[in-house]
Amino acid sequence: MDLLNNLVLGFATAASPYNLLFCFIGVILGTLIGVLPGIGATATIAMLLPITFQLEPVSSLIMLAGIYYGAQYGGSTTAILINMPGESSSAVTAIDGYQMARKGRAGAALSIAAIGSFFAGTVSTILVAVFAPPLTAVALRFGSPEYFSLMIVGLVSSVALAHGSVVKALGMVVLGLLLGLVGTDIYTGTPRFNLGILELSDGLNFVALAVGVFGIAEILRNLENEHDRDVMIKKVTNLWPTRQDWKEMTAPILRGTVIGSALGILPGGGAILASFASYTVEKRISNTPGEFGKGAVAGVAGPESANNAGAQTSFIPMLTLGIPANPVMALMIGAMIIQGIVPGPNVATEQPALFWGIIASMWIGNLMLILLNLPLIGLWVKLLTIPYYMLFPAIIAFCSIGVYSVNSNVFDLYAVAFFGLIGYGLAKLRCEPAPLLLGFVLGPLLEEHLRRAMIMSRGDPMTFLNRPISLGLLLLAAAVLVVVLLPSIRKKRDEVFVED
Amino acid sequence: MLKLFTSLAATAAIALISGSAFAQGYPERSITMVVPFAAGGPTDTVTRLVAESMSKDLGQQIIVENVGGAGGTLGASQVAKADPDGYTLLLHHIGMATSATLYRKLPYDTLNAFEYVGLVTDVPMTIVAKKDFEPTDLKGLVEYVKANADKITLANAGIGAASHLCGMLFMSEIKTPLTTVPYKGTGPAMTDLLGGQVDLMCDQTTNTTKQIKGGTIKAYGVTSAKRLDALPDVPTVAEAGLPGMQVGIWHGIYAPKGTPAEVTQKLSGSLQKALKDPDIIARFAELGTVPSTDAEATPAGLKSKLESEVTRWKPVIEAAGQYAD
Amino acid sequence: MGERFRPFFIASNGRGEHMRNLSFSSRDLICGALFIFIGLFFAIQAYGLELGTALRMGPGYFPFVLAGILILLGIIVIIQGTQLQHEPMGPIAWRGMLFILPAPILFGLTVRGLGFVPSLFLTGLVAAFASTKMRPGTALLLVGGLTLFSVIVFSYALGLPFRRFGPWLGQ
Repeated sequence: MDLLNNLVLGFATAASPYNLLFCFIGVILGTLIGVLPGIGATATIAMLLPITFQLEPVSSLIMLAGIYYGAQYGGSTTAILINMPGESSSAVTAIDGYQMARKGRAGAALSIAAIGSFFAGTVSTILVAVFAPPLTAVALRFGSPEYFSLMIVGLVSSVALAHGSVVKALGMVVLGLLLGLVGTDIYTGTPRFNLGILELSDGLNFVALAVGVFGIAEILRNLENEHDRDVMIKKVTNLWPTRQDWKEMTAPILRGTVIGSALGILPGGGAILASFASYTVEKRISNTPGEFGKGAVAGVAGPESANNAGAQTSFIPMLTLGIPANPVMALMIGAMIIQGIVPGPNVATEQPALFWGIIASMWIGNLMLILLNLPLIGLWVKLLTIPYYMLFPAIIAFCSIGVYSVNSNVFDLYAVAFFGLIGYGLAKLRCEPAPLLLGFVLGPLLEEHLRRAMIMSRGDPMTFLNRPISLGLLLLAAAVLVVVLLPSIRKKRDEVFVED
Repeated sequence: MLKLFTSLAATAAIALISGSAFAQGYPERSITMVVPFAAGGPTDTVTRLVAESMSKDLGQQIIVENVGGAGGTLGASQVAKADPDGYTLLLHHIGMATSATLYRKLPYDTLNAFEYVGLVTDVPMTIVAKKDFEPTDLKGLVEYVKANADKITLANAGIGAASHLCGMLFMSEIKTPLTTVPYKGTGPAMTDLLGGQVDLMCDQTTNTTKQIKGGTIKAYGVTSAKRLDALPDVPTVAEAGLPGMQVGIWHGIYAPKGTPAEVTQKLSGSLQKALKDPDIIARFAELGTVPSTDAEATPAGLKSKLESEVTRWKPVIEAAGQYAD
Repeated sequence: MGERFRPFFIASNGRGEHMRNLSFSSRDLICGALFIFIGLFFAIQAYGLELGTALRMGPGYFPFVLAGILILLGIIVIIQGTQLQHEPMGPIAWRGMLFILPAPILFGLTVRGLGFVPSLFLTGLVAAFASTKMRPGTALLLVGGLTLFSVIVFSYALGLPFRRFGPWLGQ
């Protein structure tokens, strides 16, 4: 039983007191930094990368992995508490999580996120251990036509993110797609929409955009009418999920885990779609889709599980191919190279202790996180009892530090202010930021894969239909379009009147 | 007239004296070394390894700061504008030379905005193809590519990337234009090569060595002068009949124009020591590269390298007609 | 336009019941116009780039198509808006915008020159005055604590490459 031996080796490595310590340090650091608003997993790892260079390779990677999960947990925490997602994935959590918090159910929302993530983390760790090599082979069959079709599924589904006007949500997706294209066209090197600004030649900074349209806009909304409106929360009711919550979250967690695990394996941006896809599915099959956007338990449980499962399985292409699935994985590869390990197909056989040690530490890290975070929930919720006018200067300060620390560029801070203004304006116009963010992330990918597929097929558009996986995805997109769009158009009139 | 001359000379002398007095105490505080790329990339890796070793020698910490963006030109222009006091340095790769042509509007003058510290290393490239690609050696590859030019796809990691430069050179050497498929970074390009979605690529050993050893891609040649210890079975391009393909991704350390010569000399000496650090030699070997020699790791060595490379790439890039701005 | 912008200092209940019976929504009108305006901006910019063909797309092709869709969506938003009743936009956070938006920029502009500590202190202070509830004493205390916390966490613990006090202060 090879797998068993490998896992034993892995746990023996990861559970050595020294490595446990670094796993713990990583998880704590990740959580703490991730909880600071405006600083997501990518920024956190970029900031903390240098301090891992002095360690043993295994320990440093275990610590980095811990920082990664920790920052993701932390990012979800700020998304729920103050509507400030640090990553595209937690943008979805913010939709219903923040509404739960406003209803005084921040504790329950945080617990649900933690429990869902832990379950998904456990299942997907097993998946990574058992299926890493064969799954990699599947992922490699995804060429540009397949990715293009996958992105189409994602975009079509994004309508479900809207809880107001569908047309406005579509407009926000398209606006996001356009903003995502700002920068340099990779095919010709032509600069596009950069208004002659050199800093824009690599495109807009995601963190700056997210902090602006979500965080700053939310602060401005809260400052609108300080005298009449009590900004935050009703009284915090219960910290833990109720019996009813447990019932509502179980199925979404299971579905989210499956969706996230599957999408995370795709190296070309599948993991980005995980939380969005899960949200769409939950809203579709829910008996009370009207609850979504107003604090639905399933709208937190599903995406958070999918997100964590995807984060976990995105290690598969990294560990088996040496290919980064997202910016965080790229940083991890950088850390490995500095440690003298070049990730690639041979890591598993040449460095079994390292390979399996990391896999085992994934689970240990998740376990530590839930043990650490459940007690911390009480503390986070207490943060909300600090008067808002004392909280937001800190939010602004941390956002500034976080955004600046990534590229050391003032321009990114101009972008924060600019998108804060835009985001506030859009919020006033009842346009929601989550579809915009999805469009922003997918825009460049969509165009890249479309054009690459056309180049490789020598200009034959049938390439999307001739390839079975691509065809299947397009059919799925068509089905989603019919199912999602028709009833929403029919219900349009009613929905407009139920806006809050 | 004479008065003017003497006063000028006096000013110069004072400047010189104060310069050397200043340099004697150097470094008195921590030094910032700017990498014009994101943390975790190959250039960042090289920088951090070297910076750590040089810190030990200089007795002051060298802080690595990532100022990414615009193909490295943002970080470079930031250093060009920094105080020339030796406390802000730049570690940049071959892009320093190619951006002089790739960007028609640079905010700094490549050949006149910097003082030189020294050449750090030269990372060779490999010509690689998907696993089941037909040709068995470089000669066969060239013939096959020429015969099937309209069917072959050549991947690169985006305008200005090492793989883009090497690909342009390859096409100009065999005088056959191919369909180039740009990617956003090396990762996705390598994924498609592994999956057989594209046919060919030319990329740094940093990215390809593991895959070649693992047998997941096919290697036709390395662009270094000698075979690599890490890949003893792969012939050099010169052996295989394409001597003009000799190319490497070289890295150098720069300081803003006006930095006292004493400072750059001191840094250069420290760099030479760092490059003899067994740890650095071992890490570089894993990346498929070797540290620069003492002669190369000098201000003069880097200066002549930069100048010759600007001249070398200008016609290649202009012939391809692709610019980054 | 059915609505007027009210200055922040005029109290409002934020509900505006009296505005219920408009024949069209100024919110949707603005929103639609914004979509159309942004769409036009991108369309014009994209048209200046090489469009190429569907088979070999230039850098302008995909954004041009998207911009067209955005303009179309903007028109639909306006049309739909004329048929429905909407609540008005409520008060605008003028004071908030005045103080919140410049704060991050201030940080970016001064962090190199002044150094991390004074720069962050100023940033926090400016942001703090976005709230009418903030009193000067509280603000100084709050921002001082915030700066201390950040210096410990970011500068000492994480070792971010910020100078604590910069060259503008004669250091």
